[in-house]
Amino acid sequence: MAPAATPDQAVDVLTLEIGTEVFAIEATAVREILDLVPVTEVPGARPFVGGVINVRGRIVPLVDMRLRLAMPPAAPTADTRIIVLDIALEGEPTAVGILADRVNEVVQLDLGMLEEAPRLGLRWQPEFIRSVGMRSGRLVVLPDLERILT
Amino acid sequence: MSGSLPDPAETYRQEAAELLDMLEQSLLDLDHRPDDRDLVDTAFRALHTIKGSGAMFGFDSVAAFTHEFETAFDRVRAGLAPCSRALVAAALRARDHIRGLIEAPDATDPAVGDTILSALHAAVSDDAAAPAPALPPTAPESASASPRTWRICFRPGPDALVNGTNPLLMLEELRGLGRARVTALLDRVPPLDAIDPESCYLGWEVMLETAAPRSAIEEVFLFILDDAAVRIEPPSDDTAAQAEPGPAAAIAATPDLAEAEPPSVVPPLRPGRSDPDIGRVGGSLRVQAERLDALMDRVGELVICQARLHQLAGAGADPGLTAVAEEIGRLVSELRDTTMGIRMVPIGSLFTRFRRLLHDLSRDLGKPVELVTSGEETELDKTMIERMADPLVHLIRNAVDHGLEAPDAREAAGKPRAGGIRLVARHAGAEVLVTVADDGRGLDAERIRAKAVENGLIAADARLTEPEIHQLIFHPGFSTAREISAISGRGVGMDVVKRTIEALRGSIEVTSRPGHGTEVTLRLPLTLAIIEGLLVRVGRGIYAIPLSAVEECVELPPDEASRGGFSLLSIRGALVPFLRLRELLRTGTAPDPYQKVVIIAAGEHRVGLVVDQILGSHQTVIKSLSRLHADVKTFSGATILGDGTVALILDVAQLLEIGQAEEERGRAKLREAA
Amino acid sequence: MRTVLTVDDSASIRQVVANLLTNAGYRVVEAANGAEGLKQLQAGGVNLVVTDLNMPVMDGLTFIREARKLPTGKGIPILFLSTESDAVKKQQAKEAGATGWIVKPFQNDQFLAVVGKVLR
Repeated sequence: MAPAATPDQAVDVLTLEIGTEVFAIEATAVREILDLVPVTEVPGARPFVGGVINVRGRIVPLVDMRLRLAMPPAAPTADTRIIVLDIALEGEPTAVGILADRVNEVVQLDLGMLEEAPRLGLRWQPEFIRSVGMRSGRLVVLPDLERILT
Repeated sequence: MSGSLPDPAETYRQEAAELLDMLEQSLLDLDHRPDDRDLVDTAFRALHTIKGSGAMFGFDSVAAFTHEFETAFDRVRAGLAPCSRALVAAALRARDHIRGLIEAPDATDPAVGDTILSALHAAVSDDAAAPAPALPPTAPESASASPRTWRICFRPGPDALVNGTNPLLMLEELRGLGRARVTALLDRVPPLDAIDPESCYLGWEVMLETAAPRSAIEEVFLFILDDAAVRIEPPSDDTAAQAEPGPAAAIAATPDLAEAEPPSVVPPLRPGRSDPDIGRVGGSLRVQAERLDALMDRVGELVICQARLHQLAGAGADPGLTAVAEEIGRLVSELRDTTMGIRMVPIGSLFTRFRRLLHDLSRDLGKPVELVTSGEETELDKTMIERMADPLVHLIRNAVDHGLEAPDAREAAGKPRAGGIRLVARHAGAEVLVTVADDGRGLDAERIRAKAVENGLIAADARLTEPEIHQLIFHPGFSTAREISAISGRGVGMDVVKRTIEALRGSIEVTSRPGHGTEVTLRLPLTLAIIEGLLVRVGRGIYAIPLSAVEECVELPPDEASRGGFSLLSIRGALVPFLRLRELLRTGTAPDPYQKVVIIAAGEHRVGLVVDQILGSHQTVIKSLSRLHADVKTFSGATILGDGTVALILDVAQLLEIGQAEEERGRAKLREAA
Repeated sequence: MRTVLTVDDSASIRQVVANLLTNAGYRVVEAANGAEGLKQLQAGGVNLVVTDLNMPVMDGLTFIREARKLPTGKGIPILFLSTESDAVKKQQAKEAGATGWIVKPFQNDQFLAVVGKVLR
């Protein structure tokens, strides 16, 4: 009954692509992954949260990271998905949809391999990054969603 | 995590403040329902926690004082003293004293505390005691001290191990009580290939020979809430104990019962239906507010889903499907009404909060007040009730401070010395009317008028009817700083009251007769959760406007259609400013050839909203927008349409404000041009 | 040495629990909410959890449920603190996977007695 001492330092993350970057989001935060659904524009909202979608009867803000991270805009493709996440914003649990160009698999990422965000090589503000790691030779970014969204 | 630790004392202060409020409410309620055991228990629990945590965080004076308070009150709980008016009065003062001890210990006078405590003790002393004499507390099991043999059957259930329950520890604890013979019960162990290694299939039977009372055995299984999991069978000669409920039920549901006196000394609860409160308590169930909100959400989804089904069924030609769709439509609307009914709570819960307020106002202002309430049973959405509280507090303060004359002046005017305040709630169609009335001096129309002229609200020669003059007190520019008194200032914040009520899609009216008093009536919709909405299209977007705010819809005159910027529209002789939503929402689209104007109104403010198309009405389930859209003020929420897309709900109060601002700017420009 | 994880948004309560348990010979790790608690638990080595139910970010019930899904959270005793002796809350927490509870406010010996009841 006593728990075996596990070397359980690895976390399950969902990897996804936006532009040329590969992002990782902790799998426990992911509520569901949707195909593109009709988006209702919210006039007057900040551009990167310019719309809302209906997720099973809940009104969920849709975040376009490209606009937040100063990446060039791109039209949706057949691979475009919306990842619905549960995150805490200013202490309040909030469901947020994030547009991704492509969703890859859930992988185990070794926490030991993740490094504090290096200040070089990335095009965007270091405070938006929680940490980075390597996976199959590509840089994987664990974003700090709360900072990015507030 | 190290960082700056919050002061533990501060944590305690906050917790205590909440408990003190709870205590106060219970005491005020006890004033009316002195026999209500639940109220006594609630008050006692609050005291108990205040004392316990107080000691933990170093509020020794609080703990000591509360201990005395609790001791006195315990006599009421035990049925040894009635909950008299004198007791409630003393307890309320004691409650205030505790607050003082917590918030400003240096400013509290121990002598005052002692006076209060002696009043408390006097109120529960034997002279005031209940008719039945106290029986010595007898625990049935403590009677026999010689060892007896109990049969205990324990089946922890499959999840027990995963959930951290350690049956071995429990068996050991039982062994600690006496001589135990333990037999494993293997009958529920499945075949090997069906065994889940993490599940617990075993049970145990223990023959325990002990002098310890039943409660000691139950203590071992304290954390087992499932009645079926533990059976404690007393020695065969002990028939009295046989009738006791299962251990889990006894411990979990009524922790205080063990110490309670035999039923004969409990103040008599009339078995008849004479007391409506008792009947209500018996038949009701406390449900967490979040669960109700979740239920309402699901019903909202169902309403939306049903709208889609209705659309699909209408499009196809399958008569069977149409019939089912209609049936579901009927069920859904019934379910919606029932669910909204569950969210309704009697406004009486709010009225009781005002009793203390009046009690204190009366004391502070030296004006005796007689409060009369009626319609406490009138039901209203719980959210609505919460949001109405502040405006009502304000109205009541105004009524006592400014409405009621001083006792001598009242006597001189041939009125009773005590001023009358009436709080009335009643239903009127889909609305609830809540009235705060006083029998005081009434509004002074001449003074209001003079002040409105002074503040530039009206021209000196303006012709206004009396009701129009009374309305001026709600104008944002009416009150001046000079007016603010300690309690309130007539006019101070009346505009805020009005705005709050309008934000709830309600309205406010005032009537007054000089020398006879003032009556302020709030009109409010029954619920906030579902409204009728008018769907309109602006550019490519579809928006909902609360139908209750819509006054009428007209066509935009062609000469206006081609223009932009500010202008006024003549509606039945009155000039109404209008907003081009295409411009406000920056649609970037060309206007439709025949644009419509939706006139919305709240109070006497009106504004026209120019839209491209009016689509019709829609049962609107109101959903809030997330924090990420907190900065967007034009919308009060969103709703989901029959096709599953989202439509934003326009915020009427906000648009009216924008409209007024536009109008003022526009008029200023016109004046400049002239 | 036995390690106890205390999860509570109130730093003062965490402090009280930590002092009590440290003096009684336990090692104590702290977390301010359920999400932090899960992280601590994931790291392994925790023998007992004492959690509040009412917390921001991730409440106690969710925390208990999630904890039971972790390999390092299965089978260890989880006790929750509740201010009121509320039967409904207890039932909910038990269903979520809690082992038992401690009623706030508690006396030191009561607290240690309950800990001793589920952990040895």
